[in-house]
Amino acid sequence: MAVRVQFENNNEVGVFSKLTNSYCLVAIGGSENFYSVFEAELSETIPVVHVSIAGCRIIGRMTVGNKNGLLVPSSTTDTELQHIRNSLPDAVKVQRVEERLSALGNVIACNDYVALVHPDLDRDTEEILADTLDVEVFRQTVAGNVLVGSYAALSNRGGLVHPKTTIQDQDELSSLLQVPLVAGTVNRGSDVIAAGMVVNDWCAFCGLDTTSTEISVIESVFKLNDAKPTAITSTMRASLIDSMS
Amino acid sequence: MASKSENVRARIVKAYELDEIEKLIKDAKVAHVMLTEAPPLVDEASVLTRLSALTLRSSDGISCSCCGVGPFTTRAQQTAHYKHHWHTHNLKRKLFGRKPISLGEYTARQDESSNVSASDSEADDNPDAAATELFALATRHCKAFYSNPKGQVFCIYRCLLHHRKEEMSHDGEGHFWARRLKELLSPGFGRWAVLMVSGGHFAGCIFTGGSDAIHKTLHSYTTRRGQGMAQSTRDQTGNAPKSAGASLRRYNQEQFLAHVQNILVSWNDDLKGCSLVFYRAVGTINQAALFGKPSPLRKEDPRVRQLPFPTRRPSFKEVKRVFQTLASIEVYESLQDFQKGLLALTGGKIPSKTNSDTSVKKAQKQQAKTFDRAKSRERAPRELPTQVTSSEDEGPCYIDSETPAGWIKTLSEQSSNGIITNSRKDLLNDLNDCVITSCVDSESEKEVVEKKEEPRRKKKGNKKPEEKTLPVKKGPPKIPANVKNMWRSILDKDSTSLDTIIEAFEGDIQAACNTQDPIDGNTALHKAAIAAKPEMVTQILTAGGDPCIKNHELQTPYAATPHADTRIAFRMFQAQHPDKYNYSKSQIPGPVTPEQLEQEKERKAQQKKAKRQREKERQADKMKGNAFLLLSDDQKRKVPVQEQRCFLCGSQLPKVPFEYDGCKFCQIPCLHSHRKIRPLNKSVE
Repeated sequence: MAVRVQFENNNEVGVFSKLTNSYCLVAIGGSENFYSVFEAELSETIPVVHVSIAGCRIIGRMTVGNKNGLLVPSSTTDTELQHIRNSLPDAVKVQRVEERLSALGNVIACNDYVALVHPDLDRDTEEILADTLDVEVFRQTVAGNVLVGSYAALSNRGGLVHPKTTIQDQDELSSLLQVPLVAGTVNRGSDVIAAGMVVNDWCAFCGLDTTSTEISVIESVFKLNDAKPTAITSTMRASLIDSMS
Repeated sequence: MASKSENVRARIVKAYELDEIEKLIKDAKVAHVMLTEAPPLVDEASVLTRLSALTLRSSDGISCSCCGVGPFTTRAQQTAHYKHHWHTHNLKRKLFGRKPISLGEYTARQDESSNVSASDSEADDNPDAAATELFALATRHCKAFYSNPKGQVFCIYRCLLHHRKEEMSHDGEGHFWARRLKELLSPGFGRWAVLMVSGGHFAGCIFTGGSDAIHKTLHSYTTRRGQGMAQSTRDQTGNAPKSAGASLRRYNQEQFLAHVQNILVSWNDDLKGCSLVFYRAVGTINQAALFGKPSPLRKEDPRVRQLPFPTRRPSFKEVKRVFQTLASIEVYESLQDFQKGLLALTGGKIPSKTNSDTSVKKAQKQQAKTFDRAKSRERAPRELPTQVTSSEDEGPCYIDSETPAGWIKTLSEQSSNGIITNSRKDLLNDLNDCVITSCVDSESEKEVVEKKEEPRRKKKGNKKPEEKTLPVKKGPPKIPANVKNMWRSILDKDSTSLDTIIEAFEGDIQAACNTQDPIDGNTALHKAAIAAKPEMVTQILTAGGDPCIKNHELQTPYAATPHADTRIAFRMFQAQHPDKYNYSKSQIPGPVTPEQLEQEKERKAQQKKAKRQREKERQADKMKGNAFLLLSDDQKRKVPVQEQRCFLCGSQLPKVPFEYDGCKFCQIPCLHSHRKIRPLNKSVE
């Protein structure tokens, strides 16, 4: 199910939150409205945690993670890192990376198996990324943009990319990611997909401006209508894909 | 002024010079860079058809469009290609609008490794890169760019054309832009208002056709001069001060607000006649002054626009400057001039040298004023505010028992020589000297520092010859050959005993043992200790090697050894010969006998055994706990009470366990997490 939500009158919810299959990070806001929307949807299944990165609220753009781990930029303070480690499940590896492109969320787009990264990302970071998040890393662009993390939202079931991505590029990316991709928009025509929405395998949150057309596109491409957190999508999928390919 | 080719200077045309403008904007078109396509509408039906057509294709048949490789036959082949450096390289080339290169070409370039081919290709593609940069600059710029059929390019502030909230860049043909430009000529457009409020200053002016019609400035004392920040801002941070100054500023703020609003009300008719109202008001307080209740201005009014550039403190002069800046339209005679000018203006690749010498100097001057706080500054030598200088005025200075000895020494030295140290470095030197030389004699403690006429330069030269007390300085410069020979055999890996050498030694064996190597200050004992040879250590100690001598790292032989058995050799020697040396300075922790060593060993073995036993028990306990955890909650409840464990973590339960629904836990957090995993309604299965 896709839910509309707003962060203090701002529609860019992907900036202020990070959603994965095993945890959800939410920025510390002036009011708890934003948090309680996530809490209401997710608290039965995964922890929803208040987090700041280097004292900032733009956690969605600064961090990158999936069900296996979380990468935070080097500006993260020790207290914040400790808080994150304490709040997330033990199976989630939390790692701080020294990377020049410190807005990790903007330069990396990933699901639980594959990550697309900015072509200029450091080789060391790429290695850490592969180890911590347990993903296969590809350097790619989305519609001629290097900020793959901003212009693509991925889950294990589908992906939404920048509206100007050509059909050929979409096919190429989807064969790389092994999930169906479509081009689309959020927040009434905004092309910064990942800033406008967050998604995991059974739930999506998008800005309050998102039109019903956009919502139905999101629900169909991420297959959210019938989605429940199941073992097939999360734990068994890797083995299925291995055996099929 | 420098040559024309280097400096691109725009002609300035003012927006109120109507006939100039008319010539300029005739058939003008907005620059291409100002326009982008509207984002394509996402049509639900098309997406759904595409989704239904989409199946998760296996990787064959897919090729890399960027490098022109493929189709790939296996997934491994595909991923290998996408991870190849060659692909990344082509990806970047594509981003800069260049053609991809083949693998052979790529490897060739890598081999060449250096600049030739790279710089060639850069040069080829340069115009393209410049165009991209230009686009980026233009879309971010606060000015709009137009060109007219005469080839002239001109820039005009966007805020003259449209409100900030109006989105104009998606206008396909640029008709909208052209229409807005024509409005500049419409009658009555030349009447603008500029209002600025900041920090208790207000300045407002209404201009008609380039000259000021009405103006008013106002100032009241509302900001805290010492600390900065407006009084109201300070009050919002909590515990508002109750001082007279604070209440004065609060009162002034209210008066200021009312006064500004009165002015605006009295200008009501004039403001209504204005085609544009520009304002600068940062923060809620300043905005309240302009847009508060009685004021005729509304923020939502499309005529009301913010100033697009930084301004100084509101004053009549500043308001006039702002108006002139806003009204100026830069005209470049050709596109090339414009490109150069724009890049220079925005600090692009072409360095800005456009200004005359004086302005450059001015800029430098301003730069000199600002300094980088992130860097540590150079330390300038400063005078020390020592007691000595103060004592000059106050007569004799008495030194009490609390004054450190070093200070006293310095002071006494100075007083006897008539010296004042004038920098910290000198003082430190003096202090060091004092530490090396022996303590101050008792007289100087009570010594009176005499008055001095004026500071004179320091002369060094009365150092006391006390260095003979320091063992470090002792070593004779020449090392006898037989000592060197001994050292060599100590360092030799194979030899373990010095018997032969010590027996055959000619001369003073004790002195030879205590000779220090000038390089690192090591004696024979040090060398043996570092080489981890316990037998040699015992032999050298017997022969008279002093264990108290320190090497240059201030380590005694005992402290220098990395080897446990060698350390024991030292301690055993101490036990056998308790009176041979003064062991208190050798850092040897104490004598030890072979019996004690034996006991120690036994004790360690027992400890190890006990530890292993404990580990075993723990393992068994854990196994039990794991077995218990594997049971479902129902089964766990049926387990006999004595064998029950924490339902969540499987550890032992306390005497009175924490409990809910028949589930028992060792700690409250366990219970909480268990409940979270299994909400109440689901726990009844």
